[in-house]
Amino acid sequence: MTTATTPRQPRYLLDNERVLAPLFMTPAVLYIIALVGFPFVLSIVLSLTDATVGNPTYDFVGLETFRRILFDDPVFRTALWNTFVFAVIANVLVVVLAKALAMVLVSDFRGKWFVRFLVLLPWTAPVSLATITWLWTLDSIFSPIDWVLRSVGLLDGNIIWLGKQNLAMSSVIAVHTWRIVPLAAVIMMAGLTSIPQEIRDASEVDGAGFWRKLFQITIPLMAPIIAVAALFGLILTITDMSVVFVLTRGGPTHGTQVLSTWAFFKGIEGGSLGQGAAIALFLFPVLVAVAALILRMARRREVL
Amino acid sequence: MAQLYRPRGVTRRDFLIASAAAAFLAACGDDAATTTTAAPAGTTATTAATTTTAAAAVAPTTSFRAPAAPLSGDLKILLWSHFVPSHDEWFDVFAKEWGDQVGVNVTVDHIGVGDVPAAIAGELQSGRPEHDLMQYIAVLSQHEPSVVDMTDVVQEAENRYGTMLDLTRKSSFNPNTGKFYAYAPAWVPDPGDYRKSLWEAAGFPDGPSTWDELLEGGSRIFAEQGVQMGIGLSQEIDSNMAGRTLLWSYGGSIQDANENVSINSDATIEAVNYMKRLFEGAMTEEVFAWNAASNNQGLIAGELSYILNSISAWRTAQEAAPEVADDVFFTPALAGPATAIAAQHVMYNWIVPEADGVNVDAAKEFLLHYTDNLASVTWHSKLYDFPAFTDRVPDLDTWLGNDPFGASPADKLKVLSTATEWATNIGHPGPANPAIGQVFGEAIIPVMFAEAARGTKTPQEAVADAEAQIKLIFDDWRAQGLVGGGA
Repeated sequence: MTTATTPRQPRYLLDNERVLAPLFMTPAVLYIIALVGFPFVLSIVLSLTDATVGNPTYDFVGLETFRRILFDDPVFRTALWNTFVFAVIANVLVVVLAKALAMVLVSDFRGKWFVRFLVLLPWTAPVSLATITWLWTLDSIFSPIDWVLRSVGLLDGNIIWLGKQNLAMSSVIAVHTWRIVPLAAVIMMAGLTSIPQEIRDASEVDGAGFWRKLFQITIPLMAPIIAVAALFGLILTITDMSVVFVLTRGGPTHGTQVLSTWAFFKGIEGGSLGQGAAIALFLFPVLVAVAALILRMARRREVL
Repeated sequence: MAQLYRPRGVTRRDFLIASAAAAFLAACGDDAATTTTAAPAGTTATTAATTTTAAAAVAPTTSFRAPAAPLSGDLKILLWSHFVPSHDEWFDVFAKEWGDQVGVNVTVDHIGVGDVPAAIAGELQSGRPEHDLMQYIAVLSQHEPSVVDMTDVVQEAENRYGTMLDLTRKSSFNPNTGKFYAYAPAWVPDPGDYRKSLWEAAGFPDGPSTWDELLEGGSRIFAEQGVQMGIGLSQEIDSNMAGRTLLWSYGGSIQDANENVSINSDATIEAVNYMKRLFEGAMTEEVFAWNAASNNQGLIAGELSYILNSISAWRTAQEAAPEVADDVFFTPALAGPATAIAAQHVMYNWIVPEADGVNVDAAKEFLLHYTDNLASVTWHSKLYDFPAFTDRVPDLDTWLGNDPFGASPADKLKVLSTATEWATNIGHPGPANPAIGQVFGEAIIPVMFAEAARGTKTPQEAVADAEAQIKLIFDDWRAQGLVGGGA
């Protein structure tokens, strides 16, 4: 037995975990450094300069770019507020809908796998392609939604989804929610299946109804998982520019302008690279704090 | 006990070997995909050649002039996907044929117009641009420090073909540095497109000729016939052009001839007031969600009585909705209280990056070859592109008077014969400097009009807010030495 419990010397180099671990980790680390780390550091540098899009040289201006966007740029303030509204409403919807969807998808019914496939489609489709489809769906002339409503006599004319302030913001939020819900639902499905069956059985024996089980067993036990899903949703919402850029380009006027799109307009289309970088980085400290808080909370619940 | 350590199923080693094999096969698959992708390119070239041949009976022939010095190497060209697809089919063959003649391997990449600014910015910022020659249809003056001076190309072109139009010169030349940061051999006019049947019924059989008539007729059509007008008030190119056209017609401007900010004036406020009335009388909120395709979609659907657009929307309608196309006619710039001028719809700015490895000589020679063949450019764009050197397209007036591409009636485009008299550059009355480019990129002018039209600000407030933003932008670029004025 002694022989059996002694760790065996690996016969091949690739069986050695000291070799395998760095081997597997290296591509991910290189990927993060090259495609996330380097651009991130570069954007910090740019945000502290007067860099323009066509000038290879630039001067260090300290926090002047941040002062400019905060105090001299009214569109930035609008975009900041819109980002907040957009992120909060979209994520409340994401959490509620993903929870409901996850509960449906873990139950047994005929054709479950096909339904799961359909539900995941919005997440797997390229964001620009999916958003262009929505652009056509919400078109002021050719919207099929309008056509159906007209056909059944509920509408006269067109709704003009993207040309009115509240409808445009609602459309942007709805499309983003549609995109993120599948991911959040998959995360929550993992959480649901991890709840021990004996707890469910005990609650059944005690005569707990659906709502009582939901609010006193399922949601408390899944809280850390829900928080992680919300964290993903929050980050994906705040950092995404595709939905707003394709659907409204920030309009009407700047009614749906968010920080990511305004950073693009300011930095790339306008040419003021330093200010664009400052706008893009503005919420980074907030995101880091929120992410740290949520992950700390999740770890405390010892679910992760 | 030895069985405890016997590998069962797939070991990590097996997995790694299998993964390596899969990666190898995938790499082979990529090669195969590349090869497959190359096939359609050849197909396109064949199609283009066929198209060129089919039109050869009347199309201009391509002329060739040997370069001043021997050329070699690669020439990679980046340009937009033209609104008239036949242009791109012709251009790709035209560029490659020139390359074959001069010993340069030419590659042409087309990308969507919305992706061009980011592509150019990325390549120039990298310091190692992928392309030797890049083209865009709006202002590129912000890239001046990173691009080659094209003065020698302009001088050679003017020696050969006469004086360049003032509007294209102002779109590519910085008077403060004396540098042609771009070469602009062509441009596109921006007439009004109106539905004759609708305007006839409203009492304007020849369409509107003034902004007042546009308001009167457009409002009547909307009220009596239920068809709105489509002048964009959104963050996109058509809205930018339309807003400037109205602004100038009322006597306002973003800057004066000396590049001082002049937006906050009674004339501008009056123009904003007018746009508010026009929106309330003749348009719907769809103009706040306008995009580059909206003109085309609305016109083809028969849902718009009047748009400010090039002829591309109508050309699309010729195939998609011929009955609508036959009903569409054109107006020159509408007269306002001050003048009757319109923004160019598109400018063709070509830039050459200033970086190691860029084939500058080949790029410049190609541009001269392109200029030499502006008649083909105009022809294959179905009269969309106009020359900056008017003598290079001697048949233009003939074509406009008798459209070779099926206009009904055939002289429908004749109104464009006078386009050089009523079209001007972005930045008028000054040059298209980087500040003007940023004001354009951030869509400050359409937003100014839209805020007043939506009623979220008074015209005075909207203009004052626009002025505050524009002044800061001008100050920034002036500090970099690229914008004049400020004294």
